Amino acid sequence: MISDQNLRNDRLVFYTRDVQKIEGELDGFLELSGARSAFLIDKEGHMVTRRGETVQNSLEAISALIAGSFAATREMARLLGEAQFSTLFHQGQRDSIQVTLVGERALFATVFDGRTNLGLVRYYATETASHLSEILNEMLTRPVSESAPPGDQLSSDYSQSAAAALDKLF
Amino acid sequence: MVQINFAQKQVNAKIVYYGPGMSGKTTNLEVVHQRAPSPNRGDLTSISTDGDRTLFFDFMPLDLGTVAGMRTCFQIYTVPGQVYYNSTRKLVLQGVDGVVFVADSSAAMVQENLESLKNLEQNLNEYGKSLASLPHIIQFNKRDLPDALPVEELQKLLNAHNAPCIEAIANTGQGVFPTLKALASRVLETIHTGARGAPGTGGTAAPAAPAMPPAGQTGFTQRAGQPGAPATRTSHAPAPSAPTPGAPQPRPAMPSHAQPGQTQRAPLQVAADATGRTGFHPPPQQHTISMAHGPATGMPANPMGMGHAPKTGPQIMHGHGMPPAPSGMGGHGGHGGHSGTGHPAGGSSIQMMRPHEAKAPSPSLSATGFNRSRPPAPARAAARPTTHRPTAKRPTAQRVATGTTSAESGKKKSARTMMLVIVALVAGAVMAFAVLT
Repeated sequence: MISDQNLRNDRLVFYTRDVQKIEGELDGFLELSGARSAFLIDKEGHMVTRRGETVQNSLEAISALIAGSFAATREMARLLGEAQFSTLFHQGQRDSIQVTLVGERALFATVFDGRTNLGLVRYYATETASHLSEILNEMLTRPVSESAPPGDQLSSDYSQSAAAALDKLF
Repeated sequence: MVQINFAQKQVNAKIVYYGPGMSGKTTNLEVVHQRAPSPNRGDLTSISTDGDRTLFFDFMPLDLGTVAGMRTCFQIYTVPGQVYYNSTRKLVLQGVDGVVFVADSSAAMVQENLESLKNLEQNLNEYGKSLASLPHIIQFNKRDLPDALPVEELQKLLNAHNAPCIEAIANTGQGVFPTLKALASRVLETIHTGARGAPGTGGTAAPAAPAMPPAGQTGFTQRAGQPGAPATRTSHAPAPSAPTPGAPQPRPAMPSHAQPGQTQRAPLQVAADATGRTGFHPPPQQHTISMAHGPATGMPANPMGMGHAPKTGPQIMHGHGMPPAPSGMGGHGGHGGHSGTGHPAGGSSIQMMRPHEAKAPSPSLSATGFNRSRPPAPARAAARPTTHRPTAKRPTAQRVATGTTSAESGKKKSARTMMLVIVALVAGAVMAFAVLT
């Protein structure tokens, strides 16, 4: 098995128990706000988890575009002398998207429609983002010795297997 | 930054194609999208201008399949190559795990290559990274140009860190998959070792290595003496770039890339395979990465590094429905008319090419100004032949931003540049939102 210290060097590791906590928060948000779906995405555009209604389009592309869009607004904020814009809102005719920064490394995105309203979504999104931030902070500051639960370990032959998979693909 | 998600049983890594404008970054991605087995590839999303210049990024997920119980995915991005778009280019580099630097082999593009490489290093430094420690591959693209520089010369100019180099002619597909495979294997190695790909340690010094960011800034710990890394680098260097004796084939006469006033080099007879321009065939030996790289990563020697021929054992590509690679990618020959006629003047377009659309682009939605089908690589190649430098297409604003027209005062110019950057960022955000909706 690969040591947890190795896994945590310059990478983001989500263990099952952490993701379960995150999903609990997202479920609670969806119930209270009436939004259609909720996503947690890291700043690089990788999906962490999502809850709610299924989104038909490519989740990878959606995650990448949300992260890119947020990164662009952050750069705009910097140019205007702001540290960052912590919330991003796109209004559509049917669906709207709100993106909220969670800590320093993740984004909480929610898709909602006319069954709810922006105020409700924004209120609960802010609250949920705060809870998610606590979970992520706890993950990142957790002592290494405690953080590798059984079953959540990367096989030691991962790289070799990946190389073989690359050979098959190409 | 690699994301390892044990709840989803998934490993995600981010790969970015970087390089000067028109060097072939998007073409690389399009070829990967067209040729990768459909179960493994996702939609190709492009945020580009009417002139098919990348505005924000192109994006495509590539699913490697389940590896040791974990679904392994690469998120592949390209950046806009033009100097003007540095802000958006820098954004795309955030959290990058590996970089392909796509260099234009033309003698006329030496300065652009050097500037882009320097810009890459600067942007990486802003994220606390450096080419010295980041897995990267140098792709010498457009090897079929008559004024292509010798590989040895390009190595000296662009490969300060002794990274693997691969020759390519991206618009024919040659060298595209070996490049991606080489980088993917290096990125995956880092997951195991917990360290970024070791820099060149094989005797070749890195003369232009920039200062590393302060240790601890990213939590990254560079470890000297990575197993396998020295062997990989040591034996790599110029070996793959040596032309295959007996294989040279003169290229058709093409207009020179040289700008007026620039030194015109004698056309180089690139040792390319005889089929290189008419089909997607395995590249010749010199187009593969170091022979030592395969064993170092546990991969069997596969000089082809691509090709969809059946292999022994489990066949990942079974049933993907991809027809054999058409000769010269001629399967796309019928596509045309993507000249921006349906777009508002000066606008931009967003395309999302789904796997089933790879061979049959959908009609453009000109009423909305968006086109969800990007022309395939050959069509784009035809629209912007490699022998034609796009200097005329570059907006005047780019020259302003780069300071080549310096009539304005510094203060006024910086304010104007800032406004242009904000406009570009707003446009990128709007494009992204348009795709989302």
